[in-house]
Amino acid sequence: MSARTPSKTPAQRLLDALGPVDNFREREEYGDFGLFAGATLEEYLEPVAKAGVISRLGPLEKVHAFWFSGMSCDGCTVSVTGATTPSLESLLLGTHPGAPRVILHHPVVQLESGPNYLRPHEQALRSELDAPYVIILEGSITDECKALETGGYWAGNGEEPWGPDGEERAVTADEWIARLAPGAAAAIAIGTCATWGGIPSADGNPTGAMSLMDFLGKDYRSAYGVPVVNVPGCAPIGDNFTETVAAVLYFLQGFGPLPEFDELGRPAWQFGETVHRHCVRGAYYEEGSYAEEFGDPECLVEIGCWGPVVNCNITSRGAINHVGGCMNAGGACIGCTMPGFPDKFTPFYKVPPGSTVSTTMSRLVGGIIRPMRMYTNEHLNREPRGDLHDDVPSGWARAKLEPSIIADAGHRFYDMLRRSNDRGKAGVSPRGKREEWTYERRPGRERELPGGADHSGDGTGS
Amino acid sequence: MCFKNLPVEFDASGDARLRGGVPDPYSVQTARPEVAMTEDERVARIQELMARNGHIKDHNMDPVTRVAGALALHVSADLEERRFVDVHSQAPLFRGYEVILMDRDPRDAIFVASRACGVCGGVHSHAAAYAVEMAWGLQPPPLGTVIRNLGEAAEMGYDNPLHLYLLAGPDYSEAVVKRTEPGLWAQAEKWSCPGRNYHGFTTMADLMTALNPLTGELYREGLTFTRIAREQFSLLHGKYPHPQTIVPGGVSTTFTPQTLNEFQSRLSATFDYAQRMVAIWDDIAEFFYEADERYRQVGYRPLNCIDCGYWDDPEAYDATYANCNGWGAKRWSTPGVVLDGELVSTRLTDLNIGLEEFVEHSFYDDWADGRQRYHDDLLGNPLSPYHPWNKRTLPKPTAKSFREKYTWGTAPRWDRRAVEAGAYVRLLNTALAQMHPDNPFYEATGHSLKLRVPKGMQPEAELEWHVPEAWNAFERNRGRAYHYLFSQLVSLNSVLQAHRLMKAGETKVAAVDHKELEKRIPSDERLGVGWWGAGRGWLTHHCVVDQGKLVNYQIVTPSTINASPRDPFDQPGPYEEAVLNTPILERIVEPEDFTGIDMARAVRSFDPCMPCTTHLHTGHATVVREVNTCACGDG
Repeated sequence: MSARTPSKTPAQRLLDALGPVDNFREREEYGDFGLFAGATLEEYLEPVAKAGVISRLGPLEKVHAFWFSGMSCDGCTVSVTGATTPSLESLLLGTHPGAPRVILHHPVVQLESGPNYLRPHEQALRSELDAPYVIILEGSITDECKALETGGYWAGNGEEPWGPDGEERAVTADEWIARLAPGAAAAIAIGTCATWGGIPSADGNPTGAMSLMDFLGKDYRSAYGVPVVNVPGCAPIGDNFTETVAAVLYFLQGFGPLPEFDELGRPAWQFGETVHRHCVRGAYYEEGSYAEEFGDPECLVEIGCWGPVVNCNITSRGAINHVGGCMNAGGACIGCTMPGFPDKFTPFYKVPPGSTVSTTMSRLVGGIIRPMRMYTNEHLNREPRGDLHDDVPSGWARAKLEPSIIADAGHRFYDMLRRSNDRGKAGVSPRGKREEWTYERRPGRERELPGGADHSGDGTGS
Repeated sequence: MCFKNLPVEFDASGDARLRGGVPDPYSVQTARPEVAMTEDERVARIQELMARNGHIKDHNMDPVTRVAGALALHVSADLEERRFVDVHSQAPLFRGYEVILMDRDPRDAIFVASRACGVCGGVHSHAAAYAVEMAWGLQPPPLGTVIRNLGEAAEMGYDNPLHLYLLAGPDYSEAVVKRTEPGLWAQAEKWSCPGRNYHGFTTMADLMTALNPLTGELYREGLTFTRIAREQFSLLHGKYPHPQTIVPGGVSTTFTPQTLNEFQSRLSATFDYAQRMVAIWDDIAEFFYEADERYRQVGYRPLNCIDCGYWDDPEAYDATYANCNGWGAKRWSTPGVVLDGELVSTRLTDLNIGLEEFVEHSFYDDWADGRQRYHDDLLGNPLSPYHPWNKRTLPKPTAKSFREKYTWGTAPRWDRRAVEAGAYVRLLNTALAQMHPDNPFYEATGHSLKLRVPKGMQPEAELEWHVPEAWNAFERNRGRAYHYLFSQLVSLNSVLQAHRLMKAGETKVAAVDHKELEKRIPSDERLGVGWWGAGRGWLTHHCVVDQGKLVNYQIVTPSTINASPRDPFDQPGPYEEAVLNTPILERIVEPEDFTGIDMARAVRSFDPCMPCTTHLHTGHATVVREVNTCACGDG
């Protein structure tokens, strides 16, 4: 079996089709157009954001981050603006000790527009930047060669004078990535579109959409020797991304460990577990209880949840500030972090066929476990004092007494087992306390106390 | 008689029909709006001007940053006359969502369509749900609708501050104003803010300093409030963007008193913030107008706008087309179309049948080749071959040519006129129509909207949004600030509804379970439409289901409307019209000083959101307009 590996990666194919570029605009051509503050965001923030050695804790003072949008909905950007551990603003303002300040070049955040925005990109291309840079892709890569066939493009990210006779032409996200990837300290794909192709690459798509790994090929290594880093999710949890970036920065600063990535380039500590393992509804599965209707509180597998086979941490991390999470709120997992998304999960709201075996088994096991747990739970829902008085002092419900002699005997036996090796039962006397004042566990005793019916003394009780 | 250009009239019972005796009634040659100038005349005039004035220079703002998604503006600026003589707005991205949605199980629609936009990360799943449940015939139970309303109010609670403080705010900040308008900055230092008791800034200069990107207090506070609102959304829908609990016929949210409380407690924190926001954007508008009346022309467009209404009445909404005018009228914000300041219709059927999409200047092949699948809507009202139900998405990337095709966006028009979409249009329609449901928190007067704010640390207040004479950058931003408050009051109304429903034991959140959902996928040919809204206003999803699968799916987003290219009638889209009306007021000593801040304010005030717009590039836009006349170019 020979692998169907094309001789060129799609990135090489695109660069071959476009040819090299050497024509760059001069600053005088566009002046301050789009430079509304008379300074770039980097220059504007520098007095506040530039950190000393006490703050940055390592050799790097700053890192450039070029953010590109392929076929993107900007949802990853939105997620990152929601991140708090660490927050986007703390990285940009240099208020996160240990991390060098991040000079972000992002169309949604930037103060400056137009050619003044693109200038640092050009500097990176000409190796004229004053610090290392990483490239970040949100959204799928399109097959621009397919669009070139009819003379157009799918996803433009600015214009440069790279057309015939120095004419301005659209520069696609793909082209920027293809040109900047070899020199980048790291190439990071954020979100399922960039990591695995995602919905733009779904069945029936017209654009030949693919992931960053597909585009750069398996042999790609960054200037620092790193393959593509993938933080998936649609949209990803913002904190998963900023945490990964921070982990890489700590490593570069020399005090952090090399972050562990799995075989698909995912941060292993975030995606090593299935989302089911930390699911707030997971125990329903264990007991064989499943939601039947939308809105039910039980396990969602039978209304189409793929959680048991999906790598994700949203049930433990929440969506934002530890709030939310798909199953936490009542949403079935549709596998949006996975390379097979969406076509290996559709149609949605259909029971995953493979789950039938395990749900049947857990129904069987649950059929035994659940009654036993309820039995013990009922016992634990009575105060020891209530047991003593044979009464439940709640006005909310019928007093739940021990239902039967057998149940009572069972609970006594259970308690005996529980206390079988209880060291508190050892024969030695508790020398540190006055044993005669220990409250006597005898219901009749209360009647003899002041205020009680059988109280004979002349104390304060009436 | 709301239609002036389309040959559509109404009978005595209010049903629409085609006017008799009009051959080829929907031909672009037949029904034409009046336009001030044809494209040929316009190009000729621009060339003549360029030949005469050597100082007219082309500028290419690509990308325009601080907008969601990708947007480019190509302008020709006359720096001596201080005006824009030409503009093309371009969104350079195609993603093919509509194409991917077709040929799929309708159960996929909600999750796939949601990915159309991650900035408006909840609205598309809702619009898709409304569209497919109409086709399916599924009526959500009241609590299902209320939970949707709560989530969508929370989404506005994120969307509006995101725009006002992260995207548009820096354009009015110290960092920018000091550089672009030093004279204005000097005035700002002395200008005492009328709203200082609400926002805490003594002078306009203090306020502008707080708007500085990242370092400013208002920027970071805005970020914080977007997060709180996203927490609210995630409580109900799992995550933002791309909610996990919207299902056909309701939601799958497990809704408990804890959910409601956690939502409501976060909501309570927004009212002081809303009062602050309103005071800030009131003061910014007043300051700029007082400093120079010409700021009223920045981003100027007359009141030509459209909105579907937003947030359904849980008892009235029944997911049918037949009753849509009834339940549409009961939305918390009223559907409607306003032309030249006059509310011409509030009926969803009129909004629907007047809608057409043109691709004359877009990277698509024309589909209206004489064949037309649907001649009528579900009630027998006439439909255009350019209506979304008849549209086919036929992408074809070709070389950019301003005279021919230059955009991935389409040109949606209503009654063949360019109308604007925006969150603030909700306020306008609701204020003018006076049809909204009774409630303790807001009231329309016919010319304004009174908003009653519960106390926080600020005392209770009644604030009033007045219908402006026209839209401009400042009125759009001010409107968005009031809309933030409005949406949070809708949220409070919905919280009360949720309490009442839980009190009444009506806790069902979806029409049917997942098994019934599968059984009830229709096998015949069905049409559906979801009329909804986004942070930028109007949003529709039109679908056709046949033999149980999606055979057509068409999305019209607000930014598709606002960023639209020229139509077959040579009318510019709203962004271009706004830029062409914008004077260049910034300080320019040498030509290279020109930053383009005025046009940036004009365009950003629309809150462009391009991911779902796919792509636009409006061609040789437009009328060369005197900056002191504000006539609208679209007839």
